Amino acid sequence: MNEHVQDDLEAYALGALDRGDAERVAQHLALCASCSNDAASLAEIVGTLPDTVALREPRPALRDRVLGAARAEARQATSRRSPRWSFGAVRLSRIAFAGLAAAVIVLGAADVEAYRRMVTVAAERDAYNRTLESLREGARLWYMAGKDSFAGSGGTLYEPRADGKQPFVLFHDLPPINEGQVLTIWLVSPDSAWARAATFRPNGQDIQVVQINTEVAGFDRCAVTLDDSPSGKHGTVVMESRIAPPTP
Amino acid sequence: MPEQHPPDDALLASLAARDLSALATLYDRYGRLAYSLAYRILGESEAAEDVVQDAFLSAWKGAGSYRRERGNPRAWLLSIVHHRAVDILRRKTTFRPAPLEMAESQPSDEDTAVSAEKNVEHRTVREALEALPQAQRRTIELAYFGGYTHVELSELMGVPLGTVKGRMRIGLQKMRRALERTR
Ligand SMILES: [Zn+2]
Repeated sequence: MNEHVQDDLEAYALGALDRGDAERVAQHLALCASCSNDAASLAEIVGTLPDTVALREPRPALRDRVLGAARAEARQATSRRSPRWSFGAVRLSRIAFAGLAAAVIVLGAADVEAYRRMVTVAAERDAYNRTLESLREGARLWYMAGKDSFAGSGGTLYEPRADGKQPFVLFHDLPPINEGQVLTIWLVSPDSAWARAATFRPNGQDIQVVQINTEVAGFDRCAVTLDDSPSGKHGTVVMESRIAPPTP
Repeated sequence: MPEQHPPDDALLASLAARDLSALATLYDRYGRLAYSLAYRILGESEAAEDVVQDAFLSAWKGAGSYRRERGNPRAWLLSIVHHRAVDILRRKTTFRPAPLEMAESQPSDEDTAVSAEKNVEHRTVREALEALPQAQRRTIELAYFGGYTHVELSELMGVPLGTVKGRMRIGLQKMRRALERTR
C-alpha cells in the first residue's frame, strides 16, 4: 500500500488539488478503505457548501435541454448495443497520410493531431511510449500490461480532457485469439464496479486502436478480458492497469 | 433534511437502469441548486447552464460509477457540477484577482439570498460558514468557489502550504460540528 493521503483529503474534497495530486489521491482512495471513509465524510461536509449560495432560477428550457440530451444519449447507447461488435479498429500501419481523414471519421470526434502522431507511431514502433507521452497534454494515460498468454502485449487508455473528444485504447502486439472469442475492455470504478467499455477482436496488426464509447471520468482502473461471448460474465483477465485491485 | 420520495439512493439506482423519469426527478430536486452553484463559481448564466447540462448528463451516464468517497448522491452530483465549473474557470482564467480584491468584487450573497434564507437547512450551513474565523472561511471559499488550488492559495495568501491545509482542516471540522449540533 502506498502512503496514506490524509494530509490532502480536505483539499481533495474542496477540489483544490491540481490534476496530478488529485489523481494520486484518487488512486490511493481506490485502495484504502480508511482514507476513503474519511474522504466520504469530508465530501458530505463540502457538499453542504452549495447551500450557502444565493439561489437562482435557471431558465425553464434548461430542464428540457438536460432531458433531451439524456434521451439522445440513451438512443445512441441502445444502437451501440446492437449485435454487431463495435470494432472502431483502425489498421494504423496501413494508413498513409492521405487515409487520415477516414481514420478520423471512424474514430468520431477524436483529435486529428493525435491521430497524425499515431500514424507516425505505426512507422516507428520504438516511439510508442514517447509518442503517447507527447499526446498527454492534459490527457490521462493508463497503461495496461498483458499477462500470461498476453505477456509482451499491452495497451494504453488515452482519456482526452477536452470536451467532444473520445477516449480510446492504443494496443500493441495483441496475440491472435480463437474463433468466436472476443476481448472486452473494462473500466473499474473506485468501489470495484466493472463497466464494459468496448468489445473487439485483434486485427492482426502490431498496433490497434479501439474506441471507447463511454465516459471514462469516475473510473480509476482498466482491464481487458478474454471472453467466450461479447456479453454475459467476463472471462480471464489478460491485461490490467498498474494499480492493483483493492485487497478483499 | 426532510425525507424525500423516492430517496436519492433509489433515484441513482433508477438512473443506472436508464430511467429517464428518475433523471427528471433528480433535476427537479437539485437542478436549481446545481445551477446556483455553477453560477456562483462562473458568474454567468450561459456557462452555468452548460455546466448543469453537462453534469446531469454525466450523472446519467455515470450513475453506475457513483463514487462513495464523493459522499451521498446529492454531494456526488454537486461535486460533478463543482468539478466541471472549476475546470472551466481554471481554463478560461489566466489572471485571477488576489483574495482581497476578490472579496470586494464578489457580490455579497446577502443581496440575492432571500430565497435561501427561507430554507432552514441552508441558513444553518450559512451560519456555520460565517461563524468561522475569517482566515479559515476565506481559505475554504477561495478554494471551493474561487477554484484556487491549495498551492495557489499559499502563494496568494502569503502563508505556508501547511497553514492553508490546516485552515481547511480546522474550518471543515468546525463546520461539521456546527452542522451535527443542529441535526
Ligand atoms: Zn490511506
